[in-house]
Amino acid sequence: MLVVSLVFGVRLLYVQVLNDDWKNRAEQITHHEITIHPARGLLYDRNGELLVAVNQVYDILVTPKEVKNIDTLQLCELFQISKEEFLQKIEYASTGYNVSYKSSVFIESMSKEEYSRIAPNLKSFNGFESTRRTNRGYPYSVAAHVLGYVRKISAEQYEEDQTLGEKYYNQNDYVGVTGLEKVYEKELRGERGSAYYLRDYAGNDKTNLDETYAVAGENLYTSLDVKLQAYGELLMTNKLGSIVAIEPSTGEILTLISAPSFDPNKLSGREFSENYKELLNNDTLKPIINRPIYNDNYRPGSIFKLVQSLIAMQEGVITENTGFACNKALINCHSHEHPSNVQIAIQHSCNPYFYQVYKRLIQRGEKTSIFKDSRLGIEKWNASVKSFGLGTKLNTDIPGVKTGRIPDANYYDNEFPSKSNPYGKHRWAFSTIYSNSIGEGEIGVSPLQMANLAAIIANRGYYYTPHLVKKIGKDGEKRPEYLEKHFAMADAKYYDPVVNAMEQVVLNGTARGAQIDSLSVCGKTGTVQNETFNDHSVFIAFAPKENPKIAIAVYVEYGTWGGLWAAKIASLMIEKYLREELSEKGKKKEQEVLDAIILDKHSDFK
Amino acid sequence: MENRAKNIIGKVDVPLLVLFLVLVFAGFFTVYSASFSEESPQIYSMDKAYGKQLVWIGISLVVGILILTLEGNFIRNSAYIVYGIVGLMLLIVLFMPAIKGAHSWFKIGSFTLQPSEFAKFATSLAIAHFLSTSGVKIQDAKTKVIVFFLIAVPGFLILQQPDPGTLLVFFSFIFVMYREGLSGNILLGMFFAVIIGVMAIFFKASDANVNVFGWEFGANYLYLFVIVVAVVLIHFGITYLVMPRYRGKKYITNIVGGAMALLLVFSCNYAYDNVFKDRHRDRFEVMFGLKLDRKGVGYNSYQALSAIGSGGAVGKGYLQGTLSNDKYKHVPEQSTDFIFCSWAEEWGFLGSLILIIVYAAFLIRIIMIAERQKSKFTRIFGYCTASILFFHFMINIAMVIGLAPVIGIPLPFFSKGGSAILGFSIMIFILLRMDSERKDVLR
Repeated sequence: MLVVSLVFGVRLLYVQVLNDDWKNRAEQITHHEITIHPARGLLYDRNGELLVAVNQVYDILVTPKEVKNIDTLQLCELFQISKEEFLQKIEYASTGYNVSYKSSVFIESMSKEEYSRIAPNLKSFNGFESTRRTNRGYPYSVAAHVLGYVRKISAEQYEEDQTLGEKYYNQNDYVGVTGLEKVYEKELRGERGSAYYLRDYAGNDKTNLDETYAVAGENLYTSLDVKLQAYGELLMTNKLGSIVAIEPSTGEILTLISAPSFDPNKLSGREFSENYKELLNNDTLKPIINRPIYNDNYRPGSIFKLVQSLIAMQEGVITENTGFACNKALINCHSHEHPSNVQIAIQHSCNPYFYQVYKRLIQRGEKTSIFKDSRLGIEKWNASVKSFGLGTKLNTDIPGVKTGRIPDANYYDNEFPSKSNPYGKHRWAFSTIYSNSIGEGEIGVSPLQMANLAAIIANRGYYYTPHLVKKIGKDGEKRPEYLEKHFAMADAKYYDPVVNAMEQVVLNGTARGAQIDSLSVCGKTGTVQNETFNDHSVFIAFAPKENPKIAIAVYVEYGTWGGLWAAKIASLMIEKYLREELSEKGKKKEQEVLDAIILDKHSDFK
Repeated sequence: MENRAKNIIGKVDVPLLVLFLVLVFAGFFTVYSASFSEESPQIYSMDKAYGKQLVWIGISLVVGILILTLEGNFIRNSAYIVYGIVGLMLLIVLFMPAIKGAHSWFKIGSFTLQPSEFAKFATSLAIAHFLSTSGVKIQDAKTKVIVFFLIAVPGFLILQQPDPGTLLVFFSFIFVMYREGLSGNILLGMFFAVIIGVMAIFFKASDANVNVFGWEFGANYLYLFVIVVAVVLIHFGITYLVMPRYRGKKYITNIVGGAMALLLVFSCNYAYDNVFKDRHRDRFEVMFGLKLDRKGVGYNSYQALSAIGSGGAVGKGYLQGTLSNDKYKHVPEQSTDFIFCSWAEEWGFLGSLILIIVYAAFLIRIIMIAERQKSKFTRIFGYCTASILFFHFMINIAMVIGLAPVIGIPLPFFSKGGSAILGFSIMIFILLRMDSERKDVLR
């Protein structure tokens, strides 16, 4: 008797006190947690238009271990799936990172109508339950690249969140994958709530133990102008390229367009996988790429002459009135009036002029060896150029922003023409790198950086990091880093000849297509050499000349030359933004642009 | 008459009575909790299990008091008559309609009567009477045969119901025999037989293969081989080293013992393959930990241990259980065979320990009472009572806490069931009555 009692006592001590396994198992048996998904925050444009809305959808979840005694045939009929699909889904819900005693998504994103049809019968299938969730909807079907999309958390991301992250997510959670959805994920997602129930042996919830309410996500008030964005996307139909428009006085991005674009609604809901594959793989134009921030290997072309002028004047290697002969022996050029000062040189985009300006910047005569001298010069020049936001990463609130490239001494020493066979230290000088002088050579920039450059010139010397979100939450504020002024290394006084020249470019120069009646538009064209096909058409501008409201960069790939398409598109955007209604001249221009089809399906885009 | 009643009450063993009442009422409140429902919380409700249980407790106490008024001699002399009546009931019940697949119950209105519960005290009475008859010696082969039949007849009838759980309880009489002078070797032999048998089933069930010098064969064959070696070693060990004097004399005994061990292993293996059904095999596998199967046959055990474990050190509080009650029903049979879960969940380790201590005290008190008897009848009957209750207690708790396979036998005074509480109460009150006149009886 005593021995038996002792054995029982020890066993009970182990089961009840020392070992927690059975307590955990009991909890597993009795507790039922129901997740209450918070409503994800909405996104508005700068005028309060709803960019991203939410739809109520329903997910059907399955816990494979609890599926028993069900009429499979009836279930398949209810969900309108085949038996094979059913087995496949169950299999999927029990393998990989889905485990069979936890619930996984069986059917996702059912609409309210679909759900109400199956809801009354769902209860009769053990192991199946439904959960309500919100899904993204896009009333304007624009700005897919900026907004990004939301989808079920990937296995890798879940793993990362569990091991390195904050352990917030469940396997069935939805997360922002790109764009603003990703950057502002934490703000948008809100706080999940949950309800705990005690359930009986048959799985009925009997007692509510605890409930934490879900906290809805914050709304984002973006700087986008949805009408302008939609107009830009319309203008870019049948074209490849980018449009970036910025409000210079704040750095707020008005439009960020990547063409070709796609309807963001495609990446919401049940057809996600098919649509995503289509966008990613089957479209040779690669609509998924966000060109204005991601393509940083465009050369700036003649537009770079603006930067060269400003740096040269700041550095004192020239003055506003320095003239150089248009010596076509140095570098080719077209016929134009004598570049007797900076303004005329910019206005006519004189290549030999800037060849000589750049030579003075690079080889300043501080060292006797031209090699050593060039090294010194390029380092100084590099720092100055970078202060214009080029060759540095702009900390814009969208993922995937690329840096571009402004070459420095190290680059030519160790990386160019190739890493395996570079020039080497002291084996290059100005004569090797002179192509940089006119924005060709080894310079790479992104459309975003070019729009920012337009904003710097519009502001006469400074910029705010371009950004997309004005405030987080109704009473929120702008992120502090976007309130910080960044000064370019050129004093305000040097901007007048440059701005005047840009005005002349539009009035009498290469960008006459950008003229808008009784509005002073300042711009500069660029024709970016392209080896594979037609050159790219590039144009940056701001307007009005005094107190500018909009700075813009337009890239039309294979658009032949700057004044042809980019300037027209930029002027239409400016006119639409500042005037709303187009003039007769504008309407004619608009029709021209809409009719144009500029594609090269065979180009290998990188 | 009044004087006599006073006399009896004055002589009743108070500790045993108190422990008995404690167990009965603790049992009732546990049944109440296990079958409690918020919809009808009143304690007395005939629709509810605990209402019926209360009626049965009342009946048991009334019958108990009646027993206290009986003459000791009358009880002793009625032993065979009671045994006969119960035997007849066991026979008739086989022709009753089956409930849950067994012909174990008489159904009278909404009450059911389970004669096998009465067979326990009836058989005890008969054995006590027979062994206390003058001239009967346990050492005689004839005595052993008669006792065997006294046990085997109701046992056989119970097996026909079928109710193997209750049959198992009849093995507990072996303890009584031992107390009354049965050779310890037999008890020891049975003990070894159980161990050898359980291990044989274990090896058989594990279905493991062993590899010895490149030969691969079932572990159960290796086990057979080990037994043969052990028998030979023990034989030579005893005869040549320990007791050289007995060299040759124990030869036969050892050979027979070894042969019986081998036979046992063979028959266990045979039974495992041919007699056991799949559900039995599964139970063994679960018990041996070869399976942790939470949905199939292991379900009962898994749920029961979860409930017990969730009680923790001090429990969830009375009526606060979330596994073993009528509302959630995670533990099956939570008010009958698995009622200990309900207790352990609500009162925790502390409560479980108290229950075990109270039970131990109760059984020890019964043995103490049995030992102080001059009357052989009362002593034997006391031992029968202690053995049966001990067996119930041991197997039930062991099963619930996962130390034994799931065998359907109730926890006396706790498990819901009218016949059981009546049967056990009768045993205790007979003992109390007999004990109260111990000073008046000479033999």
